[in-house]
Amino acid sequence: MIGYFKTVFLSTWAFIEGLWITLRYLFKPAVTVQYPTEKLVPYDAFRGALLFDPATCIACSLCAKACPSACIALASQTHPETKKRVPKPEWYTLDLGKCNFCGLCQEACPTKPKSVWHSLDYEYSFSSRDEMVRCWKPGFPLAGRVWDPRRKEFRDLESHIPVREVEARK
Amino acid sequence: MQSEELIVTEGGLEMDTMFVNMGPQHPSTHGVLRLGLTLAGEVITKAFPDIGYLHRGTEKLMETRSYHQCVVLTDRWDYCSAMTNNLAFCLSAERLFGTQVPPRAQALRVVMCELNRIASHLILLGTYGIDIGALTPFLYTFREREMILDLYEKCCGARLTYNYIRLGGVAADIDSGWVAKCREFLEFFKPRLDEYDTLLSFNPIFLARTKDIGIISKETAVAWGLSGPNLRGSGVSYDVRKSEPYCGYEQYDFEVPLGASGSCWDRYFCRVQEMRQSVRIVEQALAELPTGELMAKGVPKIPKPPAGEAYAHVEAPRGDLGIFLVSDGGAAPYRLHVRAPCFINLAILQEILVGKKVADVIAVLGSFDIVLGEVDR
Amino acid sequence: MRAEPAASAPGGEASPRPVKAPLPTPVLNRKSGGRLLTDTRFWPTEVWKSPWSLPRYRAGAMWLAGIVLGIAAAGFAVGELAVWAEKLLALLGRTSLPPAVAAWVWVLIKLTCVIGVIVVNGLWAVWWERKISAHIQSRFGPMYAGGFHGWAQTILDSIKLLLKEDVTPAAADQPMHLLAPIMAIAPCVMAFAPVLFGDELAAAKLDVGVLYIFAFASISVIGIVMAGWASGNKYSLLGGLRAAAQIVSYELPRGFSVVPVIMFAGSLDLAVIDQAQAGYWLGFVPRWFVFYPVVGQLAFIFFLIASVAETNRTPFDIPEAESELVAGFHTEFSGIKWAMFFLMEYGYVLLSSFLLAVFFLGGGAAPLPFLDFIPSWIWMVSKAMLMMFVFLWFRWTFPRMRVDQLMDFNWKILLPWSFANIGFAGVLVYLHRSGWGPG
Repeated sequence: MIGYFKTVFLSTWAFIEGLWITLRYLFKPAVTVQYPTEKLVPYDAFRGALLFDPATCIACSLCAKACPSACIALASQTHPETKKRVPKPEWYTLDLGKCNFCGLCQEACPTKPKSVWHSLDYEYSFSSRDEMVRCWKPGFPLAGRVWDPRRKEFRDLESHIPVREVEARK
Repeated sequence: MQSEELIVTEGGLEMDTMFVNMGPQHPSTHGVLRLGLTLAGEVITKAFPDIGYLHRGTEKLMETRSYHQCVVLTDRWDYCSAMTNNLAFCLSAERLFGTQVPPRAQALRVVMCELNRIASHLILLGTYGIDIGALTPFLYTFREREMILDLYEKCCGARLTYNYIRLGGVAADIDSGWVAKCREFLEFFKPRLDEYDTLLSFNPIFLARTKDIGIISKETAVAWGLSGPNLRGSGVSYDVRKSEPYCGYEQYDFEVPLGASGSCWDRYFCRVQEMRQSVRIVEQALAELPTGELMAKGVPKIPKPPAGEAYAHVEAPRGDLGIFLVSDGGAAPYRLHVRAPCFINLAILQEILVGKKVADVIAVLGSFDIVLGEVDR
Repeated sequence: MRAEPAASAPGGEASPRPVKAPLPTPVLNRKSGGRLLTDTRFWPTEVWKSPWSLPRYRAGAMWLAGIVLGIAAAGFAVGELAVWAEKLLALLGRTSLPPAVAAWVWVLIKLTCVIGVIVVNGLWAVWWERKISAHIQSRFGPMYAGGFHGWAQTILDSIKLLLKEDVTPAAADQPMHLLAPIMAIAPCVMAFAPVLFGDELAAAKLDVGVLYIFAFASISVIGIVMAGWASGNKYSLLGGLRAAAQIVSYELPRGFSVVPVIMFAGSLDLAVIDQAQAGYWLGFVPRWFVFYPVVGQLAFIFFLIASVAETNRTPFDIPEAESELVAGFHTEFSGIKWAMFFLMEYGYVLLSSFLLAVFFLGGGAAPLPFLDFIPSWIWMVSKAMLMMFVFLWFRWTFPRMRVDQLMDFNWKILLPWSFANIGFAGVLVYLHRSGWGPG
């Protein structure tokens, strides 16, 4: 009989303790970040969408070899007269649909500064597979362009027009 | 295997059984597991787990990739604890190459893997709470997990698929700011564990749902090859960190929590206790962090190991994760085999589910903490 | 392995990245703006350090205080609703309508009001549940629709539900599938007839109000079983059957736990029960039934537990246990049919809250004598909302019981003790009649 009441009392006490915890949290401020109106800036080391700089690239294709999922393709320029390979990229494509975000290409890149690197950009979305493949040619904007199969030409990324420079989170 | 047959109950009552597909799209099968259940009323007479919905063939894919690239793919097995996957592969490959890992890298590996154990067990706590019907602890555990992921992001740049532990060392160093943040997290985390205990572990309803359910005896657990907290919940003291220490685990002072009876609650509570031990290990490792190099000298860009084979296993959050590597001297592994703890833990379901109620299926399945990415690979 | 040797000195302050590219680092380069957070302010350790220093937190507290004071002031300005209702009835009697027609118009007005209460309660309760659950879980909940804390979220949701395609599965029993939500919601509306929304403020004055409410509230289970059966889905069937067993079982302790209240008040009429709790002991302790020693508290707890079980809410939500039966009996319902089940669920939560307020918390009586100037309907509604909060609080704290444990709990603990409680109540009433105890 005493055991019965003890069980009832202890169970009730355990319930009340649980209720007390949830009640305490009810009056604590929420910890979530309100994403579209508040945006967390990633840390410096963050591996976001890959970016490419045709100006520094030497077309060594080490990045393409380092990539585990073969998402990088490039072609080097040839000299117009001698038809010899020039250490400049003619075109460079990154398939973000295949990308593993592992950072191996960035580590393999021998140039200083890196000509392919992970930016802090985590806001990328695609509505078709063509948009996943970003292409850079000399003279293209920093964010690259995508091939539009319908119009048979390159077009700018729709959602990535302004590029804002932000200090990484410390 | 679908069967709806007439069975005769003990009282001589004739009864139709009902075949119920639990999964692959069911909120509490934790991914794409399909359970075929034959029910008599609400009692299960037959159960079989059906897997393969997440098969990506990573073992085969690795046979065409260099050793550095393989590490990237290991992240995708057990995506809740990618660090230990990296570690298991790297230990195995290092054994093949004969590489000596510098002490700082060893300590960092321990810190990261133990943080990852906490993060992984936090997922179990949250989802197990949801399985049992308490939705709030899930948000609490993910709040804490978020802090760990933030630490990871600060150090290695990724939040889920880290690619941090590399052949011969680790990819990035931590600074004093990181250490301070990590200590802040650990101090914050310790009292939270007591809150989980109040909300879940010692809640009378939770106890009633899990305490005497899904009991696995020591012998059965060993016979079915269980490992990790599932084995230790049955009272078998086997932990790779203790039995075959790697990465200098022998230097750290920690205990291996054991369960008493092998019930769902014991398996669950083993994990809660393990988180306490992990906190201890991380504190010790941070206190005496050696200085020095992060990477072993002389790991080439395209490593080609001597022909041979190597096996290394680690104590992953879900059990004994082993990697068997065969090399023919080429740049890619000739064959790679994963001893995936989730896959082996899953097999016992068909035995212990029989005779349970539908509500218990969830409790039992949840307590095994399977990740289908690792089961199917 | 790495292009460069580790540039950072071990243990040093250097960045973990080997070489920082001097190129611009584009980040968050959407057109849509947003405030950029460049610190770890979202870490709970930072957020909870000093909540009052957060402008957001201060503003929330101000809003809450403002809303409470505003409601009290509005109530004071409006006055007793029952008086307004009587004036309206008198106005209706003065019109040239024949008395029979006027009576019907009056009934229609009252019916509209009750249905309005149920529908508005559906909108309000869902929003409130979302906000309460969110804040319990350190989240915000809906924040965008409507501006202030997503107040319009459920209104928009209901529009969405109205516009949604009504899917009937091929395996479903078509007429039953259509009939089930109606069967579930209709008794809910009818059960609201004698519910007191303030002193004397009820759609129908019934001598047997308590019996009437319990009778109608238990009819809804037929709709639930029909829904489970008609869906043509094994999970739904299991859910429906569980609901039947559970609701029918918990009717008993729920009814018996009210018997002490009926004994104290001496009537089945809700208005009489309400009036019986007016006044104060020693001038400040309200004479509510929940303050009757032992019996009151036990009856209150039993009725609360049984009500939670009746309304299929955690920890007794096995009929719709989402982790086991996906959503139980309403898995196969969509659009407005599904909304009917939700209106029913929240309608019953409201009903139980009002009943708890009337039976145990003194109905429209003020908790302290000097607060009498606030009209009774404000007190009634705020007590009901407090009880509704308790329902939500339980739901977001406790795990779910198993079917057999649920039945065990009912038949082995709740029912015997509610019987015993009737005995205790008898002793109390006897002592009172013999002149013991205060008042």
